[in-house]
Amino acid sequence: MADFVQLVVLGLLAGGIYVAVGVGFGLVWGVLNIVNLTHGALVIVGGYITWMLFAGLHLDPFLSLPVDAVALFLLGYTLQRGVINRIIRAPLLFTFLLTFGLNLVIVNTLLLLFGSDFRSVTPAYSGQGLELGTIVIPYVPLTALGVAIMLAVVLGLVLNRTRIGLAINAIASDRDAAQLVGIDLRHLYAMTYGIGAACAGVAGGLIAMIQAITPTAGEPYTLQAFVVVILGGLGRVSATVAGGLLFGLVEAFGQSIPGSGSVFANAIAFGLMVIVLVTRPQGLMGRLR
Amino acid sequence: MIATPDANARWRRMFLILGGILVAYALLAPLTSLEAAQSANVPLLADRLWFRIATYIAMFIVLASAWNIIGGIAGYAAFGNVAFFGIGAYTTGMLIAKAKWPFLAALPLAPVVAAAFAAVVGLPLLRLRGHYFAVASLGVGVAVGELVQNIDYAGQPVFGGATGLFLPIYSIENRGLFFFYLMVLAAALAVAVTWLVLRSRFGYGLIAIRENEEAAAVIGVNTTAYKVAAFTLAAALTGLTGGIFSQWNVFINQDNTFPIEYNVQMILMALLGGTGTVFGPAAGAVLLQLLIQFLGGTLPISFEIPFVSENARPIVAQVILGVLLVVVVLFVPRGVIEFFGGRARFSLAYLRRSLRETSL
Amino acid sequence: MSATAAPQLELRSVTKRFGGVAAVDGVTFEVREGEIVGIIGPNGAGKTTLLNCISGIHRLDGGDIRWRGDSISGMPPHRIARLGIGRTFQIVRPFGSMTVRENAAVGALFGSADARRRPREAFELADHVLELVGLEAKARHPVSALTIPDRKRLEVARAVATRPRLLLLDEVMAGLNNVEIDAALEMVETVHATGVTVLLIEHVMRVIVGVCRRAIVLDFGQVLAEGEPESVLRDERVIQAYLGERYAKRRRTDPGRDGP
Repeated sequence: MADFVQLVVLGLLAGGIYVAVGVGFGLVWGVLNIVNLTHGALVIVGGYITWMLFAGLHLDPFLSLPVDAVALFLLGYTLQRGVINRIIRAPLLFTFLLTFGLNLVIVNTLLLLFGSDFRSVTPAYSGQGLELGTIVIPYVPLTALGVAIMLAVVLGLVLNRTRIGLAINAIASDRDAAQLVGIDLRHLYAMTYGIGAACAGVAGGLIAMIQAITPTAGEPYTLQAFVVVILGGLGRVSATVAGGLLFGLVEAFGQSIPGSGSVFANAIAFGLMVIVLVTRPQGLMGRLR
Repeated sequence: MIATPDANARWRRMFLILGGILVAYALLAPLTSLEAAQSANVPLLADRLWFRIATYIAMFIVLASAWNIIGGIAGYAAFGNVAFFGIGAYTTGMLIAKAKWPFLAALPLAPVVAAAFAAVVGLPLLRLRGHYFAVASLGVGVAVGELVQNIDYAGQPVFGGATGLFLPIYSIENRGLFFFYLMVLAAALAVAVTWLVLRSRFGYGLIAIRENEEAAAVIGVNTTAYKVAAFTLAAALTGLTGGIFSQWNVFINQDNTFPIEYNVQMILMALLGGTGTVFGPAAGAVLLQLLIQFLGGTLPISFEIPFVSENARPIVAQVILGVLLVVVVLFVPRGVIEFFGGRARFSLAYLRRSLRETSL
Repeated sequence: MSATAAPQLELRSVTKRFGGVAAVDGVTFEVREGEIVGIIGPNGAGKTTLLNCISGIHRLDGGDIRWRGDSISGMPPHRIARLGIGRTFQIVRPFGSMTVRENAAVGALFGSADARRRPREAFELADHVLELVGLEAKARHPVSALTIPDRKRLEVARAVATRPRLLLLDEVMAGLNNVEIDAALEMVETVHATGVTVLLIEHVMRVIVGVCRRAIVLDFGQVLAEGEPESVLRDERVIQAYLGERYAKRRRTDPGRDGP
């Protein structure tokens, strides 16, 4: 029983990271109709910013998260405005390849800058945790889960309560009609991608505190973000939160199967995704679009 | 913007002649390395390094042409075809290394197992469309690679685990030549299959599915069967090369038989050359593979990249490849071969127009 | 009803729901070999949904559809096409990368099971069909070079090339002007004269009166009236209940004009 509770705790904590990684990816996919293969690379850029600020200026990693968000927003805005906007009307294969190409450029530029060594962010409190009987809840992932939920809440508020959020919702439901009522598509597409990238940056900062990072560590997160968004359902932040937590649980329980490594967790996650896609394409709590 | 017919015909003829000469050279030059040729004082036109590169090129011709069947002709953006390559490689590899089968008996099973796998996963996967299919197939590719590396039975890795699988060296004279021609045969087979498909009812059905699946269904195309058949055919060709690769390379592991970047490379090749065409993917494979080898510094003709140390070179090569990918996708959405194929002429106006068509 | 052989197409209480809404609600009618039958009704009456049910794109939620006496409910679209039921789409769906001739030829390559041909014969048939619909001069053009009326013709040509015994036409006259409608009407009659039964959905009243021997009026997914076009359209109940007051008034002052 304690084992079970511990697994649930670990699963939810891991799920926090997936929520953070998933919300930005889901936003870009839902609004711009782009499966953003650059997402994982953006996540890792955020991770390196947090690491630089920690290693160079001894800044507490949680305090560097806003810096990650701003820096990644600017990078994302520029990428969308300068590059991705130009092929937004092309068939999906092209956005796929384009974002993969950008991913290659970013990852290899990081390799040139930082090499392939593992970098980790270890503040003084990183090893500690809350002990409740036999169950241990480490502080950093717990706070990370809190930050991830906050990120999702803020994103949800921005999308539903602000002018820009309304405009984003408008272009998500009908691009051409949105243009007719005077929305500047180029700017708004770039804003949306920028916000998605900012979320990725925060996710990266959180990831850097939990695991050692290398420039290539981001790629799995792109796939996992996709699974998370599929599980929850496209088009709603709350669905992505549910998808992320569910993915974390599936992974934790998958890894606990005796004799399996992290690999079966991946296989189980992908299997689950295919089953969801085939039987319930709108996701577990999504709306059909 | 349709270019004048005779200008097109001229381009086309020049292109075909040039291509023919290149192919003939590539096929015959290796023969000069035979002992008989050397003792007759024929100059050596191709050394072992060239063989290796040429064999890789032939391999990618198969991969790109096979992808073209499902991705280019049927329009299903498969992103996990590398799974079939790996399955083919491991099928042949296991039969040779563990069951001690002779290579030529083990090879035919590579396409069979890959095709069977494609049929099984294709049935659910091909019900998905667009992004969903692309990423689900990518997921299958990744998952299969990881499973192969990590499946244990009674504490022992079934497929060689993380250390990989070593095959006995195939004993035949002029091994390099043998595998080069074997791979070339596979490439010729892939191109021939594409040619046949495009001229058959099957091919027209696939194109109809690509253009509009529902419209295809109501004129009588069995869309499910056709899609699965195309996927399976692509898998068989891809698995065949995987099988050849395993014995050629002697050593296989997850990294060299399930590399994710192959997925992108084969698509980029088909795109460069022109998707849905017979020779496009092959031409794209030659171009891109030469470029990759050139950037990686493995070609005899090489170059210095300023300010870059020898160690950083493969990384810089990747950056250049990424930039190239971006530029190609931005400016040439219809493939380079189209210019030679005669539908449009390469010009600034063409580039500007394709940008305008796709941008916001 | 005469007691001859089974009707070619027979719908029995066909029902299709989306969410809680019944788009087609217990529709029953039959079509005999060689007829031209029109289905009319306002937007949202369930006309296209009904065609989608017949051609197998939608699965039925209730009722049964019979082809020459045998049930075809639940069959996938391609099998229904092979039985000899061809159709067009209201929003044309040409195969964009192909020429006009290739589009028609693909129809001939597939289609009716007993009329399948090899590629070369398919192209011969395609030429023949293009002549029938009046597109022979544009056979080599890419689809993108066609005007809207020509695209509608191509949609019909592709369906005719499948050699159907029953042709379902989904608003092939919508968006055409009067001259184009006349030409399209002629085309439908030409196709009908080759021995094809026609079931057409229309918005434009003139079409129904012009070519149909029988009209079925659909409203809110149900059959409201059925009979000779003139008498159906003169039916005050039909005019009032769902063609709307405006049309009713206009029709009294200016008979023969198109519908709303």
